[in-house]
Amino acid sequence: MKPFDVVIVGGGGAGLYAAMEAMKTNPSLNIAVLSKVYPNRSHTSAAQGGANAALANKAKDDTVEMHIFDTIKGGDYLADQDAVHVLCSEAPKIIRELENMGTPWSRMPDNTIAQRPFGGATLPRCCYCSDKTGHTILQTLYEQCLKKGVIFFNEYFALNLSVNGSRSRGLIAMNMKSGKVEAFPARTVIFATGGYAKMYWNRSSNAAGNTGDGQAIAFRSGIPLKDMEFVQFHPTGLRKSGLLITEGARGEGGYLVNKDGERFMARYAKEKMELGPRDLVSRSIETEILEGRGFDSPAGTYIHLDLTHLGADLIKSRLPQIREMSMQFEGVDPIEEPIPIRPTAHYSMGGIDTDNFGRTAMEGVYAAGECGCVSVHGANRLGGNSLLDILVFGRIAGHTAAEEARKFEPGSIPEVELKEQLDALRGGMHSSGNYERYGALREDLGKTLARNVGIYRESSLLKKGIEEISELKERFKKVRVFDTSDVFNTNLMQVLELKNMLDLAETVAAGAYAREESRGSHTRVDFPVRDDANWHKHTLATLINGKVVLGEKPVTMGRYELQERTY
Amino acid sequence: MKRYAYYLSCINESMTKEVDRSIDLWQKDLGIELVKLHEGTCCGGSNLDYVSPKHFALVNGRNIALAEKLGLDLIVSCNTCLMTIRSAKKKLDETPALKKEVNEILKKEGLEYRGTSEVRHLLWVLVDDVGLDTIRQKVKVPLKNYRIAPFYGCHILRPSTVLGHDNPLDPTSLDQLIEALGGQTIPYKHKNRCCGFHTLLVAEQESLNVAAEALQEAIQAKADFIVTPCPLCHTSLDGYQAKALKHAGVETSIPVFHISEMIGLALGYSPKQLGIKRHIVS
Amino acid sequence: MTVPIDQHLEEGKKDVTFRVFRFNPQVDSKSYFDDYTIPVERGITVLRSLNYIKEHIDASVSFRAFCQAGICGSCGMRINGLSKLACTTQVWDVLAKSREQGIIKVEPLRNLPLVKDLIVDMDPLVDKMKHYSNWIDSTMSEASMGKKEFLISEEEFLRYDKATDCILCASCVSECSILRANKEYVSPAVLLKSYRMNVDIRDAIHDQRLAELVKDHGVWDCTHCYRCQESCVKSIPIMDAIHGIREDAIESRGVKDTSGAKHAEAFMSDIEKKGKLVEATLPIRTNGVVWTLQNLLPMAVKMIMKRRTPPPPPLVKSAKGIKIFREMFREMTEHVKQDHKSHKK
Repeated sequence: MKPFDVVIVGGGGAGLYAAMEAMKTNPSLNIAVLSKVYPNRSHTSAAQGGANAALANKAKDDTVEMHIFDTIKGGDYLADQDAVHVLCSEAPKIIRELENMGTPWSRMPDNTIAQRPFGGATLPRCCYCSDKTGHTILQTLYEQCLKKGVIFFNEYFALNLSVNGSRSRGLIAMNMKSGKVEAFPARTVIFATGGYAKMYWNRSSNAAGNTGDGQAIAFRSGIPLKDMEFVQFHPTGLRKSGLLITEGARGEGGYLVNKDGERFMARYAKEKMELGPRDLVSRSIETEILEGRGFDSPAGTYIHLDLTHLGADLIKSRLPQIREMSMQFEGVDPIEEPIPIRPTAHYSMGGIDTDNFGRTAMEGVYAAGECGCVSVHGANRLGGNSLLDILVFGRIAGHTAAEEARKFEPGSIPEVELKEQLDALRGGMHSSGNYERYGALREDLGKTLARNVGIYRESSLLKKGIEEISELKERFKKVRVFDTSDVFNTNLMQVLELKNMLDLAETVAAGAYAREESRGSHTRVDFPVRDDANWHKHTLATLINGKVVLGEKPVTMGRYELQERTY
Repeated sequence: MKRYAYYLSCINESMTKEVDRSIDLWQKDLGIELVKLHEGTCCGGSNLDYVSPKHFALVNGRNIALAEKLGLDLIVSCNTCLMTIRSAKKKLDETPALKKEVNEILKKEGLEYRGTSEVRHLLWVLVDDVGLDTIRQKVKVPLKNYRIAPFYGCHILRPSTVLGHDNPLDPTSLDQLIEALGGQTIPYKHKNRCCGFHTLLVAEQESLNVAAEALQEAIQAKADFIVTPCPLCHTSLDGYQAKALKHAGVETSIPVFHISEMIGLALGYSPKQLGIKRHIVS
Repeated sequence: MTVPIDQHLEEGKKDVTFRVFRFNPQVDSKSYFDDYTIPVERGITVLRSLNYIKEHIDASVSFRAFCQAGICGSCGMRINGLSKLACTTQVWDVLAKSREQGIIKVEPLRNLPLVKDLIVDMDPLVDKMKHYSNWIDSTMSEASMGKKEFLISEEEFLRYDKATDCILCASCVSECSILRANKEYVSPAVLLKSYRMNVDIRDAIHDQRLAELVKDHGVWDCTHCYRCQESCVKSIPIMDAIHGIREDAIESRGVKDTSGAKHAEAFMSDIEKKGKLVEATLPIRTNGVVWTLQNLLPMAVKMIMKRRTPPPPPLVKSAKGIKIFREMFREMTEHVKQDHKSHKK
């Protein structure tokens, strides 16, 4: 295959924006997007709430600076402040750009883009399209990529980087339709494969495929991962399925109520109440549950998200998708009765360590979106900042890769590497000695993570978690791929995804164990306060000789000094 | 004797005259009286609604108003007329401004659309008002030796937001009627599918393929005949049958009856009286 | 293939047999069905059941699934004959309506090429989206983007709002009557998307897109069966979009270029003249004399023999009271003209 200038792995918001921007930067480049699903299926579509930008359409006194401060404070001062500046100052421009390309934003009475309040934000600055924001952004980007003639390799599963010394020669991937292992020699590769929170399996709101494929590939190629211990639990996942009820439900005025009928957020965030930042709300709910003020059910203990006082009209017009989901997945109509919810693993703040231009530690390899970690979210992401992140840094990574592509020689990928990958794929298909079921391993991984590396963490639990993950990795060596066919082998794909999750789970647990403080989404019962003297820094997890080695990286300050974080 | 206003469908006045002719034969037998609305006009045939939504509302608001003037429900025996007039009714009932505009004009003729008359298919009246028991009692020649393929057609089922009588996925009213007349309905996937009529003049090949698929399935299921509550489906399945089946490479044929003819047969009228000889496929 | 279920048999569970369509092009010369019987409690979806079967009974059963929350559109399949999303379909609901007691049949979508088991190829749909320019080609130049917003009123927003709910699950594609007959047909989802683009004031290529839509295999080939709308998992009124394109086509292009438009317009003029449709000349007015003679002559002969031919125009009786009807009809024409004028302002 002819070498590509830019190969983008992942067709969600970040990947598609990167592709569009790379083509715009240099139309003569040979650019391809590889995705394990059709791009319009990507998890970006599930983001309901919106994207923050200080357009000042709703709150006329809103400023970029206030958005910056909210983001830094929300991230418990672990975000790199220069990166946050990039994120927030690019925000109005990129939201307008999407608007100019056809995104169907909801509108204010004065016909400008509508904005609403969102958790952790001083002013209402979250731009939205009813409760289908991510879906409509993804559609717009996909449409624009089709218009621009972006070359797509849909339903290709990324397997490995081909590395020559300190350089990448391109990507090796499996064509799902044929089962063939194919080489994508490339000057540059951008990873935009989304997050890794699906490792919490049944206690996760994520799509089945949010298995951190890009992070795992980068990690195995020696590229450091940053702040992996920070996993955000969304406060309001449906009790049975873990699926999310967007913060929009609280933004529109929903109440959180315990079994005593109390709006308990008054005790945790007096002023902001239900609109406090996610980590705080999640912990508050978890505390209510642990202290016996939740509702008991066979599917677990939960509390109520009550929308009934909002009235049928508002629920139908502003929150139709939430209503539909409650009915389809929980059998509850929120117009009639409260929705049973509990916190669910939702977002991974950590990811491939990048600079503000999307560059990773390996020349010619870039990362963006939830897959990367710039970092703009620090220890906790604010609602409405994830869509913004994928748009802004997807675009930046696309631009950087396109600018730098011609600096690098096109590599060619040795045949032997393809054969190695193919042999590895076939390995699990032999019946002799392979007996472990991937389904059981996957569930056990989710359970151990939720129990030991969950919302509340503690030394002995984390130790246990680390041990159990390594046991699972041992068991994985004996995993069986039962489907032996080449054509669309989803069994094989799920096994490969499990491998990625296991590798990354180790880095999450290792970071969580090392970080002896509580900050943002990371709460150590044994170290309940933030420890700026020892831990105001990023962790870096690198694979060296098959072992996770933890390093550190300073936090870039410069705008706001450390303060206590209260709401 | 229960009275209804009866809408005259264009096609039943030209190509499928046997429909109204056969209904006239037996309506009194079943205790109903259909008052023909000679002032009624063409409903727009599922086309006027987009060519000119306002004319569509006027024309059908008027059609319904004619029935309302008599204080009777409006009965229709063509699926597309049914769907079209019911959509206009829905639109008028949901849009007060449109209703007002239409009524301003209707004043000229001394008419007013109020929304008091229901618009119903003849099949529904038979099943719901006349009742299957009554029908069973009146049968003189049970259709017991016949395997009958019910073909509902689209516009008596979909869109369900406008029609709403039968479950579009699993309609039963026509099956019930067949059984009340002593016939045997055959399991048959195509019963709620399309006949292709509406594109016969625009995308003929596609339409013929659609019709051929339905015909073939009925033939394979060893049906003696197909029965349909819609004269448009009848035209597609009977009038175009030879062409459709030839196109599909099938050499057999299958008769297609209107429900009015099937009822007439069971009530003892002769095929000649009922106009069955007028069909293309005998 | 059955798992030992006695240990699962608790109160509130039902044994359900999933009859799954199987086809692996590598080994199978034709498709077949496998039965899997599992205990299912209330509240479980079809997708969860398939996941269970894949994890515990037969890992080779192949289907797509991603978000599992009804928003990505991956798991479109036919469940007891109807195209829908497996992830939002409750097993007990389907069971209640199953023809064969305790059995749920699961098959791939129709009208798209089969890849394996429940997986079909989506590429033809993507190709059609490209063909019909299913994107906004903004009136704003790329260089000036990002600086200011288009101002869009509530009314303008509502024109496309519902259509943007489409998740391209292809349920409508699978149910479409015309696609069954001809795979070249544009497809309901692509018509919906085309409509959504064409009513957006930011778009610059309305005319070009419309010109493509009125060609063969385009918007006029829809046969109004409403199956697309009935099966839409997002309850989008797809037929409104299709009719919207037609209304727009007649208004902005006239009736000259397509037989479909002429066909539709004929209803309007007949109603005005006679209050009744003049069916005899409909084929000629739609497709011209040559087409009519070539295509319909043999049938016409048969029809004449059966006295089935519609009466020629002079013999079509006008509806009773046609005079006053005509006046009213024309009065409405004036209203419509007035509407257009104020709309253009």
